[in-house]
Amino acid sequence: MSVWWARRRLRTRIFLPFSALILAILLATLWVIGTAVNRWVEISLKRQFDATGNVFRALMAERAERLIGETSLLAGDFALKRAIATYDPDTLSSVAVNHRERIGVELLWITDEKGRFLAGAGGQGGRRGPLTDLVPLQQAIGTDAPAVAVTEVDGGLVQLVAVPVFGPDPIGYLLAGAAIDDVTARQLQADTGPAVSFLTAPRLFASSWPASEREQLFPGGAVEAPLRAHLARAGGTPEPERSTFLLELRGDRLLSILIPVEAQLPEPLFALVQESYDRALGPLAALRRWVGVIGAAALLGALLVGGMIANGIAAPVQVLVGAMRRVLTGDFRQRLSLRREDEIGFLARSFNEMVAGLQEREHIKETFGRFVSRDVAAAVLSGQMPLDGERREVTILFQDVRDFTTLAERTDPRILVRVVNRLFTEMVAAVEAQGGIIRVFTGDGVMALFGAPVAHPDHPARAVRAGLDMLARLPALNAHVQQEQVPALRIGVGVATGEVIVGRMGPDQRSEYNVVGDAANLASRIEGLNKELGTSILIAAATAACLGSEFALGRHAVLHVKGKDRPVEVVEVVGVTPHARRVG
Amino acid sequence: MNSASAGCGRSSPIGRWSLVAGGWLLVVLAARSSGAAELAGRVVDPKGAPVSEAVVFVDQLPAGAVAAAGGRTAVMDQVNKEFVPHVLPVAVGTEVSFPNHDQIHHHVYSLSRTKTFEIPLYKGEAAAPVRFERVGAVKVGCNIHDWMAGVILVVPTPYFAATDADGAFTLRDVPPGTYGIVAWHEGAKTPVDGTRQTVTVGDAAAPPLTFTLDVAERKARQPARRSYE
Repeated sequence: MSVWWARRRLRTRIFLPFSALILAILLATLWVIGTAVNRWVEISLKRQFDATGNVFRALMAERAERLIGETSLLAGDFALKRAIATYDPDTLSSVAVNHRERIGVELLWITDEKGRFLAGAGGQGGRRGPLTDLVPLQQAIGTDAPAVAVTEVDGGLVQLVAVPVFGPDPIGYLLAGAAIDDVTARQLQADTGPAVSFLTAPRLFASSWPASEREQLFPGGAVEAPLRAHLARAGGTPEPERSTFLLELRGDRLLSILIPVEAQLPEPLFALVQESYDRALGPLAALRRWVGVIGAAALLGALLVGGMIANGIAAPVQVLVGAMRRVLTGDFRQRLSLRREDEIGFLARSFNEMVAGLQEREHIKETFGRFVSRDVAAAVLSGQMPLDGERREVTILFQDVRDFTTLAERTDPRILVRVVNRLFTEMVAAVEAQGGIIRVFTGDGVMALFGAPVAHPDHPARAVRAGLDMLARLPALNAHVQQEQVPALRIGVGVATGEVIVGRMGPDQRSEYNVVGDAANLASRIEGLNKELGTSILIAAATAACLGSEFALGRHAVLHVKGKDRPVEVVEVVGVTPHARRVG
Repeated sequence: MNSASAGCGRSSPIGRWSLVAGGWLLVVLAARSSGAAELAGRVVDPKGAPVSEAVVFVDQLPAGAVAAAGGRTAVMDQVNKEFVPHVLPVAVGTEVSFPNHDQIHHHVYSLSRTKTFEIPLYKGEAAAPVRFERVGAVKVGCNIHDWMAGVILVVPTPYFAATDADGAFTLRDVPPGTYGIVAWHEGAKTPVDGTRQTVTVGDAAAPPLTFTLDVAERKARQPARRSYE
């Protein structure tokens, strides 16, 4: 990944996908809840509408039954029959008023046996003549039985029953009507919940809506185009397929359904049942808010936890990276103090071990230079060897190339360096083979130390053996040297044994394992005597005294050397005695 | 009773009959009429089936003839909570008594425009007879038994007869002359005037008369049986 936010920080890489996942789950949850609740609300509203429709139908049926029952009782009243037989309009008017009160209806009319209006109470509006345009009356005349229908009377919606008055054959009819008006609609709403309006395509008859809402929905009592389209559609749809639709009311969405009402009108009558969709969805909004709040809290919590986890991984890694950077600049003192049992802990421990290893190597390199044998290094690192300074008996070996100055002047520098390097390789190998260390390289030779820092009791013999080894390596070396068109090298070796002071010396960053003592000077002087005596290996008498029968010794000489008051006794080493068993 | 049959009971077709209403009906027959005749016949429906409980009567007398008084009393009985006979034809001016042969009370009434009367709750034969002085159908009911219904058909002449189960009738003692004769039925869809046949009664025996009436079935008015009975 190379996008900007994920480029550098491990923390971001862990943290962002984690957050994105939680956010995605949160959004998905919200969506699922929204969809489910929407659907549930629609279903439950539709169920409520069905209930309203059923309640309305039951209400109408119950009212019809009650109207028929009560009007039939009135019609059976003999006094009424006798009153009808008088055909006296004034008497009958008063009877109509009286009987209307008895059963508590909006209108009660009386007709003769042919359906001609005789008298009435309520809504008659100056009617005269036959009322046979009223369907229930028509039916009652045709069947001699009570009939009921919803019809329009004087502009209002009325559930009208017609009941014959028998004397014993029909001598007249009673028409009783109960209005389907705003009160009915409001009652229906109070009983079932949704708002109810009764309407046909041209006009509104009654509604439970308050005046202001009603004016919005049905301006001037008219049914407007969108609703009329639904009315036209609902008219031709069988009941189970009838579906809900949305109407606007002041920005509020009304879920609406049209329930057909059987009526004797020129246009089909419907009950428009409506409920505010947005109000019904109110709980969803609350639910959404809660899910949102809980989700946001969960997100925050998850981010915190995620952050902590990311931190738990990234912070130690950051520490590791910081420490690593400092190690890269050469600071090997860096250590991590992460005490953990996990992979990070393993990394930290490995880092510590690795840097400790690097530090030790650096330490050895600084102390002894590059040329320290593995044994010596191991001894130094294992702490067997004190480097702090001590007095001890050691043997020191000096090696030198004869006439090196002349050689250096006559030879190509690059060839010279190659030759010298080859020489040193052999010399170092000879020293290390005997457990000594190279103390210092002179221009054409080495100074080697035996018996320190690793203590070897036979350090004089080891030094002598190394010197002999150097000579032994010379012919093979010279074979190569001569290929470079350089004259064969000759070397001289001087060895001295004595008590010296050894230890790390020098300023902090440049301290070295050094040796201070007379033996060092003596070895150097003795080496110088080789030229004078024509020997290759000269050793001090003190060294010779420590050797066993291993070596074949040659001439003895007592000579004055520079810087020494007393003469020094030196012994030539010729070689190894044939019977001697080599050790080391 | 439907609207089609209502026509013969209480409104316009009857109007003409009322010309002869009022007072005792006296039928003065021409002295020269030596022998009265019988007019027989049947009333059938359009399919030829007999129509019972129809009434055939003379509604137009020969010119100059006057209906004579008939002083007798007719009876409409009440048996087993029914009027017997269901249809009772009477000549105008006849008194009808309503003896109650049930062991319960009845409350006989009519609210017909032809004759409105009421005999409040009574038992036995004590009730006073009711005189019918206008021509027309009078629907009779019982106020406490809604299903009880009878018809008293008040006709303008003493020449009338009800059909039997075979639809047959016989008009007796009809003096010679030319008559308008009509048939009536409670459920007839045909107006009474539409059934008129003119018949001349002479020395020779008159051929049998046939009236065709389209008749609606009479509705049972007995109370329905319900639970707990």
